Amino acid sequence: MKKLNNRFWFQLHGWISLPIWVVFCFVCLSGTVAVISHELTWLSNPQSRASNNDNVAPRSAAQVIDIVQQAYPTADISGIMINEPYLVNTVMFSDKDKPYALAYVNQYSGDIQEVNDGNTFINFMRSLHGWLLFPWQNSYSIGYYIVGFMSLVLLGALSTGLIVYKHFWRGFFNVKLRVNQGKRTLFADLHRLFGVWSLWFMLVMSLTGLWYLVQAVLFQADIEVDPYPAPLAAEQVPYSPNGKPEKAVSLAQALSLTKQQFSDFQLSYIMLPEHNRDTYKFSGGGDFIFFDSYSYNLAVNPWNASIKQQFSPASMSAMQTIMHLADPLHYGTIGGLTTKVIWFLFGLILSGMSITGFCMWWQRLVKAKSRVTQVRFSQTQESH
Amino acid sequence: MARLKSTTWQRYKYLISALVLLLTPWYYYQSLHPVFPDALAAQKIEGFEVTAMPYDTKPPYQHDGHLVKDFLLMFSQGDVSTIRQAYLNIGQDALLLDQLQLGELAILHGSPYGQTAHALVSGPLQVSDKIWLTVELWNGQTLTTHWLLPDDWIPA
Repeated sequence: MKKLNNRFWFQLHGWISLPIWVVFCFVCLSGTVAVISHELTWLSNPQSRASNNDNVAPRSAAQVIDIVQQAYPTADISGIMINEPYLVNTVMFSDKDKPYALAYVNQYSGDIQEVNDGNTFINFMRSLHGWLLFPWQNSYSIGYYIVGFMSLVLLGALSTGLIVYKHFWRGFFNVKLRVNQGKRTLFADLHRLFGVWSLWFMLVMSLTGLWYLVQAVLFQADIEVDPYPAPLAAEQVPYSPNGKPEKAVSLAQALSLTKQQFSDFQLSYIMLPEHNRDTYKFSGGGDFIFFDSYSYNLAVNPWNASIKQQFSPASMSAMQTIMHLADPLHYGTIGGLTTKVIWFLFGLILSGMSITGFCMWWQRLVKAKSRVTQVRFSQTQESH
Repeated sequence: MARLKSTTWQRYKYLISALVLLLTPWYYYQSLHPVFPDALAAQKIEGFEVTAMPYDTKPPYQHDGHLVKDFLLMFSQGDVSTIRQAYLNIGQDALLLDQLQLGELAILHGSPYGQTAHALVSGPLQVSDKIWLTVELWNGQTLTTHWLLPDDWIPA
């Protein structure tokens, strides 16, 4: 009975993983590269580097936006993204000859180092990993579901693998890697070794991935986890017989207001009003290291400086908390570069597990083929 | 354990999922070379000339509890900054500004080089429906114009 059970779990382990191992491996590899996409951008594109040779303080987001506005007077700036300190600030805008553009501004020198059309390596890798570049149909993408479904595959493979691998905890330190007993044994040893050491990583990836799958359903059902700031009431927008009135609140003032609300606020994103009933929207991180850099949010009325909406980890619901914890855990940004490197290495290991798993099966097939050839050969010999 | 047989099916069955990945470069190519439907004829409304282009030819879809259809509006004449608020809706008549400004869905937003709107749709598209643009200027003056629905938008 015990043997039958083991066989069942082993077969289930294979049935769960093998049919989609290629897609799974692709998702793992693309995610592994996406984790360090900022750093790869820094390495490959000198214009993305925020060099600070004079060791000066960074310019504020409002000053960086002003720099772009002065360089491109007809530009319509929609927002700014603040990345890691070694990367430039990214200003999003459109212009007469640019339907959408990103300006890379060195926040220390104030130089505009590059203007591109938004097709960046970072965006490409995030889209490739997140939804395999499948198109979005209003509020869902089949690719996003496919990738989200991989979390169930991983969870299934992990749990059945643990059942099959008896006393797996012994494998942490009792490393068994037999390199001289054939490929099949080597692949099996590698698979178990990778598996036992990346247990924690698989658990983190599968659970955060499961959240993304839930999020896909929520997206499609039009359920907002983070409520989008409601528009201002039309009465709050003043009338003016002489054309557009000046906004009562500048971006710098609204940003200052945000910093007053959240003492530990570290700005990561600003979205400027898209119409006259819209608000300044600020997002950032704070002292809670496990929360993402969009977990502090404030929407400010540009006409009277009132706060339209705000939320932070302190006021989040359970669902919002999960949402803002998922990204740092999934992308390994919790401890900066150090954790990104760890996530990158374990991403490679996880990709390797899907490859070694397939190789184990392939070796069984090779063995079966040689067995058939051997039998046919002996039958031919006997007939002669 | 059951013995495997090295048949063609056995050899390749676990590689079939890779076919899904063939769609990735195709979709990437499509995203780099998007194709949009024809824009509707330009309409004049006071000092503005506006062209509306639907983002796709699909029927309206549900969003935030409303039936909507997405458009890009390009102002070839007139200054967008002189507009206090503007809305787009599809139906037999233009919705009243008081009604439109209760929500945000139908509001024109974006840049002077392209305004986007999720036009509110009153129900299944009818021959008698029109696409209505309602504009309010800073001095409170309200302007309205419309486009006829292309014939091929009406379900047979």
